[in-house]
Amino acid sequence: MINIYDVIVVGAGHAGYEASLAASRMGAKTALVTIERDAIGRMSCNPSIGGMAKSHIVCELDALGGEIARNTDYTGIQFRTLNTKKGPAVQAHRAQCDKSFFLERIQAVIACVENLDIIEALVSEIWIKNGTIRGVKTEDGEEILGKTLVIATGTFLRGLIHIGEKSFSGGRVDEKAAKKLSHSFLNLGFNLGRLKTGTPPRLHRDSIDFDRMVDQPGLNPPPFFSRSAKKDWEMFHVEQKLTPLKPWPPGSNQISCYLTHTTEKTHEIIEKNLKKSAMYAGKIEGIGVRYCPSIEDKIVKFRDKETHHVFVEPEGRDLVEIYPNGTSNSLPKDVQHEMIHSIPGLEHAEFLKPGYAIEYDYVDPTQLHHSLETKKIENLFLAGQINGTTGYEEAAGQGFVAGVNAVLKLRGEDPFSLNRTESYIGVLLDDLVTKGTDEPYRMFTSRAEHRLILRQDNARFRLVDYAKRIGIIKREEINDVENKIIQISEEVNRLKSIFCDGISEEKRLRRPGTFYKNLLNKKEGLNSEVITQVEINIKYQGYIDRERKNIIKAQKIEGQHIPNSINYDEIKGLRFEAREKLKKICPDNLGQASRISGVNPVDVSILSVWIKRIDSK
Amino acid sequence: MYKQDDTIAAIVTASGEAGVSIVRISGPQAFFIADTVFKCKPPCPSKRPAHTFVYGHVMNDDQVIDEAILLVMKSPQSFTKEDVVEIQCHGGNMCAKLILRYILESGARLAEPGEFTKRAFLNGRIDLLQAEAVLDIIHAKSERASAAALEQLEGNLSAEFDILYEDLLRVSADIEATLDFTEQDLPKGIMKNLNKRLLSIRENLDQLISTWEEGHLLRDGAIIVISGKPNVGKSTLLNTLLGRQRAIVSSMPGTTRDTIEENLVIGGIPLRLVDTAGLRDSSCEIEKEGIDRTRAYIQKADMHIYMIDASKPIDHEIETHLKKMENEESLIVINKTDLCNKLDTNKLDNKLSIQMSLKKCQGLDELRSCILERLRKGGTLSSRPHAVISERHRNLLMESKKELDEAINMMNKDQEDLTAFVSSRLRSSIENIGLVTGKEYEDELLENIFSRFCIGK
Ligand SMILES: Cc1cc2nc3c(=O)[nH]c(=O)nc-3n(C[C@H](O)[C@H](O)[C@H](O)COP(=O)(O)OP(=O)(O)OC[C@H]3O[C@@H](n4cnc5c(N)ncnc54)[C@H](O)[C@@H]3O)c2cc1C
Ligand SMILES: Nc1nc2c(ncn2[C@@H]2O[C@H](COP(=O)(O)OP(=O)(O)O)[C@@H](O)[C@H]2O)c(=O)[nH]1
Ligand SMILES: [Mg+2]
Repeated sequence: MINIYDVIVVGAGHAGYEASLAASRMGAKTALVTIERDAIGRMSCNPSIGGMAKSHIVCELDALGGEIARNTDYTGIQFRTLNTKKGPAVQAHRAQCDKSFFLERIQAVIACVENLDIIEALVSEIWIKNGTIRGVKTEDGEEILGKTLVIATGTFLRGLIHIGEKSFSGGRVDEKAAKKLSHSFLNLGFNLGRLKTGTPPRLHRDSIDFDRMVDQPGLNPPPFFSRSAKKDWEMFHVEQKLTPLKPWPPGSNQISCYLTHTTEKTHEIIEKNLKKSAMYAGKIEGIGVRYCPSIEDKIVKFRDKETHHVFVEPEGRDLVEIYPNGTSNSLPKDVQHEMIHSIPGLEHAEFLKPGYAIEYDYVDPTQLHHSLETKKIENLFLAGQINGTTGYEEAAGQGFVAGVNAVLKLRGEDPFSLNRTESYIGVLLDDLVTKGTDEPYRMFTSRAEHRLILRQDNARFRLVDYAKRIGIIKREEINDVENKIIQISEEVNRLKSIFCDGISEEKRLRRPGTFYKNLLNKKEGLNSEVITQVEINIKYQGYIDRERKNIIKAQKIEGQHIPNSINYDEIKGLRFEAREKLKKICPDNLGQASRISGVNPVDVSILSVWIKRIDSK
Repeated sequence: MYKQDDTIAAIVTASGEAGVSIVRISGPQAFFIADTVFKCKPPCPSKRPAHTFVYGHVMNDDQVIDEAILLVMKSPQSFTKEDVVEIQCHGGNMCAKLILRYILESGARLAEPGEFTKRAFLNGRIDLLQAEAVLDIIHAKSERASAAALEQLEGNLSAEFDILYEDLLRVSADIEATLDFTEQDLPKGIMKNLNKRLLSIRENLDQLISTWEEGHLLRDGAIIVISGKPNVGKSTLLNTLLGRQRAIVSSMPGTTRDTIEENLVIGGIPLRLVDTAGLRDSSCEIEKEGIDRTRAYIQKADMHIYMIDASKPIDHEIETHLKKMENEESLIVINKTDLCNKLDTNKLDNKLSIQMSLKKCQGLDELRSCILERLRKGGTLSSRPHAVISERHRNLLMESKKELDEAINMMNKDQEDLTAFVSSRLRSSIENIGLVTGKEYEDELLENIFSRFCIGK
């Protein structure tokens, strides 16, 4: 009997595992095709998850039924919260993971899931027959049949690695690149672009003098991303059974990271050898990230800055690899050595792997719908770095969305698409498909115009309806969220009604420096998650209400759907540029149309008249 | 029905027309706004039946802006099918503009070109065939408007907007950087002096807003009011300067009962000349009104020409007027010098005066150059190419200022946990200016952050 998969996922990075887990958990018969089985879930760069804005994505995924949050919490070796003082909206967790346990655990999860086959192969072609997806073809000439396809091949498309003057083909260091697949995309008529990113060298733990650096211990209790780890932590005293899914009690025995800095000497060495840097010798055409500058970039562009931070981060509990965060470069090996040795504490550092830069193809994401299905080819979805993003979290977010949508497509249901007014993942999707990107796209809180509402602390509450629809999250968890939503509003109302010395407890809680625990009439035994929401809702009520109003305003225009049948050439009065852009992006609604660069408010109002006209026909 | 949640307003009569001007308000708040700005015998506009009109005054607190007639139209029986109020006021742009501005301050938004028509269509008031025409109208109007906007934005003004935008963005970038990146990566003291910086930006913003006041002079002309006793020759002066017959000239005192505005250019400077009803005590109702209005005009005018008849002695009435006149902005014109001169120049109090005879066309050149000189001295026309901001720009700036004030207030609370909220206000503030300069907040912000701070690994 021929085996036809419901969903084929190509690539097992963070986008790939989320896509395949979501699809199979929703009951679809799924294949995860990847070059190397043992590399499933590999962290290409620093094994750290979260940080500003990215943390929000991770929490949202946990709320929807993704895996990355749990995987991080259960394999984390140092947990921190950033931005604790700047208000709840921009607070973010960051965890340093154990690189090898991270991947072991995700592989164990995949092994546990029904309906999910792993196929080790290098995909060379998207197989299309009579205009419909048949599946994929592999380099060994095999054919894998499937109804829908999620491609999540990361940095592998025509990957080209640079170390100093040397360059060679590869998807990551020591891994094969995917060359033919790029041609398959080109043959299908997709626009590809080229980007670059880089990674620092890895150093041997025992060769580093940590005494010369500033110790950065983890936080206790550890700030977890996932509900599940939080629950486990609450029963910390109970003896826990260790399994591949839970290598140690989450958050236990945290390990420090360290802080050091570059010196004048470091800068001299780099200046002197700039010509030898692959980037500065003009060898790399791909566009790099402004916000992850290589050390060459930092020194050239910020000459007046005397020193730069270097975070010295262990890659695992028992691993000897140390990641000197902040020294990403594409210098020749000998210069890298000299440069690293000029940093306090790294004078005798022994190199395990050199740093390198990598260039790769990406698919212009304006060729996608919000569901991440391509506009050109039905049932073909793209997710992760292939869409021009960078970062594990961004990849995981897209992978999840693509996996869910592949299944919904097969069921003939409406796509699952998050709005930018309700989640960071929504912002990510909308930015990608509406504006495209010409540099690796990374999430920032400033990208989310409604970030005051899109907090990591309320992700579960904001997204519960979606979680219900997707149906991966257990019923009891959903019930828990729904109960808490009621408790929160009951408690807020109760505090409004209790007066003490002439002022309500609600008013009292609003005072800076006053917390729930300080209230005379607090309710004993109230769950801490509920307390947090009560505190935030009361303390920032005015600000939050205003933001809600903005959202409602925004949603009005978002709610004005543009029919698929629209023919932009027929619309009188549109300017040429606007017409061309609209034809290219095919926005779903007027809100999205207004965000396309080159479409001005007048174009939007003309469009709105036209839509009304179609509607009334 | 298709619901719009905001209320829009605009002058719907073509500019420069004499007679009546109409300001239209449409949307859910139309009656509320009407009640605020329009005072009449009870009941107030919102309580009046549909399709009625009422006489009253547009009043800002105690100050009468204009007398006017207000028309009440209730949804869906109106042009836009929304609640609509139309205020008919005196012709010429000035009254209508002041009224509109007050309406905008009371909660309406300035309608975009063609927006009333667009709403009419969206609400099904006009049919599909007409819709095609609407598209053309919207398009044509906006083209013209944007061409005009571009013209205005060239040179000085655009630079001023840019500076303001950049300054605000810089502060915003400093704050945003601390939100999106760890402080370890950022220069020390980046959050210092933010308050001071914002206050100084607000000052610039205020200044830019005030150029609207100056700007409208160049766009619409500096307003010059001609007053004087009836029959001294005011209408004749207007007609002579215009070179055609416009105001009714008659030898019966008090013929010009209404104010008449005309545009003309002297020495390249656009002027709006206002011929008023004479200034004199009168018992006639209509005339009294005209005189009141004259007084109001004089207060708002950029320059005031007071005309005296040389053939008549200076009586007590003229004397009191002369005393009240401010030297800077007014000019005394002594007309009819062709007749016997009964004027006692001592009574002119050394005020600047010009002698002329309109009948003989004497003294006209002197008058022209005198007008220009006065305007220049009064600062109305500075010599630099002038920054002119439009009504739309002014509204955006006002909006921007409101947000900025909020941000400053929050900063003053000195609570670090409000940082994200401050930055959200700043963002709105900047976005409003961005609507003038056509810049995208997010792109500009990230560019600013990354070009100034070395962040990331
Ligand atoms: C050198 C380097 C440096 C980086 N630096 C940073 C950084 O500084 N900051 C940051 O935020 N992010 C960085 N990243 C990015 C981050 O690692 C990625 O964004 C993230 O891993 C992308 O996830 P993904 O799932 O899209 O793809 P990947 O994690 O790249 O996974 C791709 C998967 O697809 C498989 N695959 C590829 N082609 C085929 C094929 N033809 N057939 C079958 N399987 C295939 C691969 O085996 C792999 O499993 C860096 C990445 C690299 C490589
Ligand atoms: N002799 C003489 N008559 C003038 C002169 N200017 C205006 N008049 C006449 O004065 C009368 C009143 O003029 P008008 O402009 O209507 O005065 P107004 O009431 O101030 O507007 C008309 O009959 C004019 O012809 C002038 O310079 N000399
Ligand atoms: Mg007259």
